[in-house]
Amino acid sequence: MARSAAPGKRAAAGVLSGWLRRQLRRARGPLGLSIAMSAVDGLLLIGQAWLLARIIAAVAIDGRGLAAVWPWLWGVLAVFAVRAAVTPLAEVAAFEAAARVKLAVRRQLYDHAQALGPAWARRQRSGAIAHTLTDAVESLDSYYAGYLPQIARATFLPLAILVFVFPQDWVSGLILVITAPLIPLFMILIGKGTERLNQRQWRRLARMSAHFFDAIEGLTTRKLFNASRREAAVVARISKAYRHDTMAVLRVAFLSSLMLEFLATIAIAMVAVYIGFRLYYGEMQFLPGLFVLLLAPEFYVPLRNMGAQYHARMEAIGASEQIVALLDEPATRPARGEAAARIGPLTRVAFERVDFAYEPGQPVLQNLDFAIERGRRVALVGPSGAGKTTISQLLLGFLQPAQGRVRANGVDLCDIDAEQWLARVAWLAQRPTLFHGSVGDNIRLGMPSAGPEAVRRAAAQANAAAFIEGLPAGYDTIVGDRGQGLSGGEIQRIALARAFLKDADLVVLDEASASLDPETETLITQAIERLARNRVMLMIAHRLATVRRADEIVVLDHGRIIERGSHRTLLNNNGRYVEMLSLYRGGMVDTP
Amino acid sequence: MTDLLRLLGLFKPFRRSLAAGIALSTGVILANVALLSLAGWFITAMALAGLGGYTINYFTPAAGIRALAIVRSVGRYGERLVTHDATLRLLSQLRGWFYVHLEPLAPARLQFYRGGDLLSRIRADIDTLDNFYLRVLVPTVAAAVSVLVMVGFLAGFSVAAALIDLAGLVVVGIGMPLLVQRLGAVPGARAVAGRADLRSAIADSVRGMDELHVYQARVRQAGHVERLSQGLVAPQRRQVWIDAVAGAVSGLATRLCLWLALVAVIPLIAAGRLDGADLAMIAFFILASFEAVNPLPLAFRSLGETRAAARRIFALVDAAPAVDEPPREAEPPPIFDIRCRGLRMRYAEGARWALDGIDLHVAPGQRLGVVGATGSGKTSLFNVLLRFWDYQDGEATLGGVPLRAYRGETVRGWCAVVSQRTHLFNTSIRENLRLAHSGATDEQLWGALRQAGIEAEIRALPGGLDTVTGETGTRLSGGQARRIAIARALLKDAPILLLDEPTEGLDAGTEHAVLQALETLMANRTTLLITHRPQALRHVDRVAVLGDGRVLEQGTPGELLRRGRYLPIYAALG
Repeated sequence: MARSAAPGKRAAAGVLSGWLRRQLRRARGPLGLSIAMSAVDGLLLIGQAWLLARIIAAVAIDGRGLAAVWPWLWGVLAVFAVRAAVTPLAEVAAFEAAARVKLAVRRQLYDHAQALGPAWARRQRSGAIAHTLTDAVESLDSYYAGYLPQIARATFLPLAILVFVFPQDWVSGLILVITAPLIPLFMILIGKGTERLNQRQWRRLARMSAHFFDAIEGLTTRKLFNASRREAAVVARISKAYRHDTMAVLRVAFLSSLMLEFLATIAIAMVAVYIGFRLYYGEMQFLPGLFVLLLAPEFYVPLRNMGAQYHARMEAIGASEQIVALLDEPATRPARGEAAARIGPLTRVAFERVDFAYEPGQPVLQNLDFAIERGRRVALVGPSGAGKTTISQLLLGFLQPAQGRVRANGVDLCDIDAEQWLARVAWLAQRPTLFHGSVGDNIRLGMPSAGPEAVRRAAAQANAAAFIEGLPAGYDTIVGDRGQGLSGGEIQRIALARAFLKDADLVVLDEASASLDPETETLITQAIERLARNRVMLMIAHRLATVRRADEIVVLDHGRIIERGSHRTLLNNNGRYVEMLSLYRGGMVDTP
Repeated sequence: MTDLLRLLGLFKPFRRSLAAGIALSTGVILANVALLSLAGWFITAMALAGLGGYTINYFTPAAGIRALAIVRSVGRYGERLVTHDATLRLLSQLRGWFYVHLEPLAPARLQFYRGGDLLSRIRADIDTLDNFYLRVLVPTVAAAVSVLVMVGFLAGFSVAAALIDLAGLVVVGIGMPLLVQRLGAVPGARAVAGRADLRSAIADSVRGMDELHVYQARVRQAGHVERLSQGLVAPQRRQVWIDAVAGAVSGLATRLCLWLALVAVIPLIAAGRLDGADLAMIAFFILASFEAVNPLPLAFRSLGETRAAARRIFALVDAAPAVDEPPREAEPPPIFDIRCRGLRMRYAEGARWALDGIDLHVAPGQRLGVVGATGSGKTSLFNVLLRFWDYQDGEATLGGVPLRAYRGETVRGWCAVVSQRTHLFNTSIRENLRLAHSGATDEQLWGALRQAGIEAEIRALPGGLDTVTGETGTRLSGGQARRIAIARALLKDAPILLLDEPTEGLDAGTEHAVLQALETLMANRTTLLITHRPQALRHVDRVAVLGDGRVLEQGTPGELLRRGRYLPIYAALG
């Protein structure tokens, strides 16, 4: 979030802080409580100063002894106790406010992402979305639990202090009043410039770090060229240059904080000297003078803290930028209308003159016409970007054709209820996802009520039973991010077991393209063969072996079918398919 | 503790600027205490003089107050400059030191930290150590020194008040931070783990959204995410409570100190042993003295991190290099053939043999394909040939001379390597190429790019040879990066060529282009080509199939494809 002074950027920041403020409706109660507690604490702080001034004045000026001031001492002790009780309440209430907002925003984001649907999710980096929902949402803390309560305090406490100081001594009050607005003003005026310098410095630091870690990452490569020692000098040189640059910037950047520090400190000094002289000339009582002097440093504390809170606000705005961007993604899944048609056991799925485009004017599929029948395996082949994945998304119902129809048993897919349809479909992703939980839970994904025997049978059909039973806790082994590590081949077989358990009519398979060792490869191929039996199956093929076994091959390029037929027919055609094959095989293994 | 001392040892060359930073920081703290207590003393003394009708020298204290205000502000500025300058010096010292120590260990001792883990951990650890001075050293030493000075000063007026202040400072500066750290450890760890779980559950939901839809498990997963999201609040709430109560207790301790000191000092004033103005001075003094210990909670937190980071960094740097270099080198071999006889190697005492009696011969200029499953020993063989690791048994020779007779650098000088992991540096294409041949002219560079079959593509880039590659620059495709690596190997013009799955992860079209480029590169060089892509085997003279650290079979590709037991399995997978 580079902070340029561009008006667009500033307008965007305005929109974002508007969004942040609107979320407050979810947390008015606790935030109000926090601010109220903080105000009580502020008033007690003033009372405490008065009591202390009273005690010191009685002893120092009036010559009273300890016995005479005991009542005041007990009073001030009581104030201490109440303040100690009130301050944690203020902080915890602010946390509760932030927690409510965070939970609600996260829920909203998650629901929205789900509403955007799988076709949207395919085009996202899952890590980036996860970052938005966890870390960006957590960053909102700094706004609701940090910035807002602090701003409230920085407004209330100085005003309250002024209310008490003015009647006692208006000149001191004036000194405070004049300097007070200068502090936030300086922060805003100079702070912005500093902010920019800081940002630039940060970017430089990031670049220097990137260079350093690039050097470490490439250490082996450099060693291969015997160039690793040379680099040590470069690392040192770059760090040194960075230091010179940075110090030149910091000398200026720190000037602003010097000014802030100077204003606050010199104001206290002026108040002290001024009060001293008025006392000397008998123009003022000691008690109010001391009271004012005790309050003067407290007057500046919340104002100074605002500097830190400025960063907190910027951080929250930066985080909300990602959040709002995600929430602004339009969920464009068209309504299916009254989709109540029912179909019997699936025997045939047909694409009829289907056109599709993500962006208007950039067709992804054009006039696509083909059918799959029960027991006949159809393989889609073609270079990446040919439209294979889009076809699978249309078939699953995640996307709807712009023109033409997808029909199941002759019924338009748009007329079939989405959940009804999905209940009949199994999908094998190119890189299947294992969700955090046990292996068994993952197989049961589509059938949470399946018994252990059914799970075991599905695993056996997927050629996965042997390795699962060899895992430390068998089917109860926890997998996923922080669980047992599984190989790519093992994950695919668990996903296959999922499909077997679901026993769907239609199987859509996006074949893995990563290379596997030969044994695993064989096991998976066998399992897929078994799965294809007596079902409607569409394969997006990446391997020659799979393609060869298909009953029909559909060759796609740029969203059009350019060839179709069996392996042998296509070989005889000697067209695009043969061209692709020769690339697959480097022309080494002779044709079957 | 020893790790910290060793860390301090690294900072020795800069002890002056380090000390200057600490001195300035101490000065700023003391100036503030002096300012406030002098102000308190001043107004009381002026009031007493006014009431008593006698004159006092008010010029000196009034000027002192103004001077202290200036000293504090300017001192703070100086402190910031000096400490930041010192931090930056340390940063460059630390990184240089680290690089120099890490260099001899690569890659052998680093391979236990695979997959970005090493890098991200080193990154975090070095950053932590970079901040050690500013976050830990300066505040703790400055606090210690100023506490001593302040307590000493106070003792001149009242020993009781001084002891009360000391006790309060210890409670607030050491006691509470330690307590918070102890109490906060469990909820802190829980919050971090909870956040990681939440993050990965959400990433799963996005990555596997089509699976969740198809298997109609959306609602269940949403419930799981919601539970994790709510579960995260509990440990965070606990942390906030701990911090808030600790903050309140610290505030209370500060005020109690003041209160106790008043109770202790008031009788002294009534007895006439101290002046009335001293009471105000002591009150302000005690309140202001706590500024010295304010940064300590953060310092304590950072201290724990620093020690852990230092321990890891030192452990890494202290690892022994994996290869002993010969004191005197043999003459370069007359020819570059590679022979292994009964070669055995393992990565640690008692570990499985990664190479378990390898017998191989690659004649000068001949090409050997090396095939085998993961863990069969292919990469270990390269590690030995490149002198990244030593072997324990058997022999590996170059032109008949044992590999051990040469230094690692010498051997690597004769080898060019292209692998799927070959790193392109975050700099221009020119610099990346010159790594192999630092004096190469642009013409030579273009020549190499032409032979690698990527000249036209580089010429089409707006920056040409000056195009910056990698994270901060243009994204090159996998195939382009691989061909640049091939051009780099061409420039090196080494007699031996080691290729480690050079076409892995490339699509069929790109693979074809890369294999074409390799064909040029392999001409007249003794080549070992690790691959499990059968199409690459077309480019070699012989093939060796490895399994469990042994050679299972070897021969010409045609022979093995017809009669071999293992190679046909691989080939069938095309």
